[in-house]
Amino acid sequence: MVDTQAIADNERWSGVYKLLDRNSLIHPEFEPQEEIKEFIKSCKILVIGAGGLGCEILKNLALSGFSDIHVIDMDTIDVSNLNRQFLFRRADVGKPKAVTAATFINKRVQGVNVTPHYCKIQDKDEEFYQEFALIICGLDSIEARRWMNATLVGMRDEVNPDTIKPLIDGGTEGFKGQARVIIPGMTSCYECSMDMLSKPTGFPLCTIANTPRLPEHCIEWASVLEWPNKHGDRKMDTDDPKDIQWLYETALARAKQYNIQGVTYSLTQGVVKNIIPAIAATNAIIAASCCNEALKIATTCAKNLNNYMMYSGNDSVYTYTFEHQRKEDCPVCSNSATKLDFNGEKTLEEFMDYLKEKPDVQLKKPSFSLGGKPLYMQAPKQLEEALRPNLAKPLKELFSNGDEIVITDLTLPFSMQVVITLI
Amino acid sequence: MDAKTQKYDRQLRLWGNSGQDALESAHILLINATAVGCEILKNLVLPGIGQFTVVDQGTVTQNDIGSNFFLDYESLGKSRAERACGLLGELNEDVKGHWVAKDILTVLKENPGYLAQFSMVIASDITRETAEKIAALCWVNGHDANANPGSSSPAGKKRTAFVWVKTVGLVGAPRIAVPEHAIVETHPDNVADLRIDTPFPELSEYAKSFNFETQDGLEFGHIPYVAILLKYMEEWKQAHGGKIPSTYAEKNQLKANIRSGMRSADDENFEEAINSVLRSCQPTVVPSAIKELFSDSKCENLTAESSNFWILTRAVRDFVNDDSKSSGLLPLSGTIPDMKAQTDSYVTLQSIYKTKAKQDVQEVSKNVESLLESLGLAPGSISLQEIESFCKYSAFLKVIRYRSLEDEYRQPKTNNIASWLSDPDSVFPHYVLLRASDSFYDDHGRYPGEGENWEDDVDQLQANVNTLLQSWGIEGNTISKDLTHEICRYGNGSIHNIASFIGGVVSQEIIKLITHQYIPMDNTFIFDGARSVSAVFAV
Repeated sequence: MVDTQAIADNERWSGVYKLLDRNSLIHPEFEPQEEIKEFIKSCKILVIGAGGLGCEILKNLALSGFSDIHVIDMDTIDVSNLNRQFLFRRADVGKPKAVTAATFINKRVQGVNVTPHYCKIQDKDEEFYQEFALIICGLDSIEARRWMNATLVGMRDEVNPDTIKPLIDGGTEGFKGQARVIIPGMTSCYECSMDMLSKPTGFPLCTIANTPRLPEHCIEWASVLEWPNKHGDRKMDTDDPKDIQWLYETALARAKQYNIQGVTYSLTQGVVKNIIPAIAATNAIIAASCCNEALKIATTCAKNLNNYMMYSGNDSVYTYTFEHQRKEDCPVCSNSATKLDFNGEKTLEEFMDYLKEKPDVQLKKPSFSLGGKPLYMQAPKQLEEALRPNLAKPLKELFSNGDEIVITDLTLPFSMQVVITLI
Repeated sequence: MDAKTQKYDRQLRLWGNSGQDALESAHILLINATAVGCEILKNLVLPGIGQFTVVDQGTVTQNDIGSNFFLDYESLGKSRAERACGLLGELNEDVKGHWVAKDILTVLKENPGYLAQFSMVIASDITRETAEKIAALCWVNGHDANANPGSSSPAGKKRTAFVWVKTVGLVGAPRIAVPEHAIVETHPDNVADLRIDTPFPELSEYAKSFNFETQDGLEFGHIPYVAILLKYMEEWKQAHGGKIPSTYAEKNQLKANIRSGMRSADDENFEEAINSVLRSCQPTVVPSAIKELFSDSKCENLTAESSNFWILTRAVRDFVNDDSKSSGLLPLSGTIPDMKAQTDSYVTLQSIYKTKAKQDVQEVSKNVESLLESLGLAPGSISLQEIESFCKYSAFLKVIRYRSLEDEYRQPKTNNIASWLSDPDSVFPHYVLLRASDSFYDDHGRYPGEGENWEDDVDQLQANVNTLLQSWGIEGNTISKDLTHEICRYGNGSIHNIASFIGGVVSQEIIKLITHQYIPMDNTFIFDGARSVSAVFAV
């Protein structure tokens, strides 16, 4: 047993303690106090995701002096994680990421206690999230980020400052990434910036079926059209090399038929799993930026990022720091309805497809209602069947100009109020 | 898929097998196992560099384990080099780690040629005097070589890039020094080179093969936009004495002409053509940056020692200068974007561009062979694959010539410095403060703010700043005393988040240097973690 009492705190943390013990003339609001050091030791901090960013974030928090750290992750370790998720070894493949990461940090850094939660973020309730001083997200999914953001924004109670949970969010792709600080009610939130995302990738069904041109079209054909044809109800397992091999061979055969070059096993895997290139270096940069902000917010030793930093390493090194503005009609952090123009001759189904693709909406399975009356519902089954005919009706038959419709989606913990103008 | 491809899948999608081979043949030296040094190595061991060596004579202290993840409680009192090597080595069974528990100056005294075995030398927590010494040794090694990526460099063709990293409190500043760095695969966003303004004969023929009068709506809606653009551009040229649209109004007119040919608002192919008008009205020329390479003395005066890069540059230049073969243009990239089209017409168009690109590669290959012969080098010593890649990216080639540390100190770019300091939001004052901190060290044998009475150092450091500014001919209080105070507040402390941030940046740059892919920064990056802003300066 290591005697943690023996650790000479002051020497060990001398770098951070200089920041906390000494005043700053560029940030005169900061007042050094012993309580701040106690606070970072005792406050609870939550890390969402124990992947590429998560491993880095856990390490950085532990070495910043935070000692009550929680981590949530629902995934298990895959061999392709090992090129960057440095808390995992080959022997750990198949084990839960949250548990393995927590065990590693607890062993390496004396006096730190990381508590793992091997589950989905949606499995936890507001009471759980309420316990934390701040939350750092290292996720690769838009859906999970939206859920977390909407939950934390929804928890804010104006009269009780303890309900305001700063959310620090990081993301990477290849040599690029971004870090941002979201303070519910004060800064823009994740939902406010949905329009910065690119259109969800996907190819028109008619191209896949009739006029393939790219190797990607052949792969989509194999996975979207041929798979259900040949395998019936059996769901594709994109983690099973046998299924990927089948898709690869099927796509390759179609590519040959159409004289299309470039179908490879690796591309097949990339397309069906929507793989984003990822390296340790970029995760290190973005995670460090997030944790630098976490330390600044928790201690007030310097001004925190307001509120967005982009990083790009493709051509030289370039960062851009700016204040992302709140969206006046944000469905999450504002009270006003979103305004939308749409052709009244088009059907509800066409409207639904449009909302699925629109970058700032990106709904998966939307349901619609008007004045409390359902127009179309994804579930339960009977209601869905009863309302399905509405999908084929033009919008002008379903509602009139200026109506406020409510759109919900099972994957999102909020509803969108949309005032529609028929054109 | 083999085990290694599985493990490295997410990075192979960025730099491919050639980049990975280059990484696996690299041997990297880390001077001093500091937090930032170990973070850099972590990000290089994980993606699988070949070998690394840690040189450090120190023993592990409490301060080390508070900011360095690769030194732990068990390491206290033991050799920093040995422990860091051990804990970093655990990250990847394919990487070989070595350690030397000595000071780098002692190592160099015992073996003056020590650095030549490394592809890259990274140093942190060294004095300016030591940095200058190491930089000078690396610079000599780097001069006689510009290693060809992927190929194992033959004996005598060593290249040693040097990276000196400073981190102080919330500030970090890495500096890269290598005489010359040439890149073929710069990974531009778009390599499509459609030549709508100057179509080659096969392309013009293709455009004419489409029937714009067809009654078949499906056929009409699938005429590839390249054919649409070529048709309307040709009509424009005939009406305008062979000239393409050059003014904004003319380009808009061409857009309007195309729009008038649409049959319904749903003709996506016409929309694609309209959206490409501005790009297509940029005349196809050899970019000025590439012309500069053509007139570079390394391109003019090839020797048997010339790197493949310069031999290929010369071969492409000779191709461009032979108007009958190239029409004065670079080799065609041969890549086209996706567009609304029937499979057959798309595949045909693709093969027209690919065939022309292949012809250009053949011509360049002939030039390469005759150059190799005239230089007395083995025929075929530059592979077809390398020539193809060079031709494909020839419009985006890049050569960076870094300034040496010696030039930075002896021949300061005073005009640039004055202009960098004139921007009130610039992070450049931190460069000045870190330089002044080196002078402070020369005077006092310690860095500003290290002791208890840290505020006493502010005036002294400010004096060092002023001396430095005066030496550059810059008058007045350009550096705020509040910022000098802030540097003393940091007291040369190591903050893990900053070490990790800078470690990430430096390892990205090292990957770019080793793989010869993407474009590394030139030459000093400065990050101010208090404001979360950064910039790059070629000091």
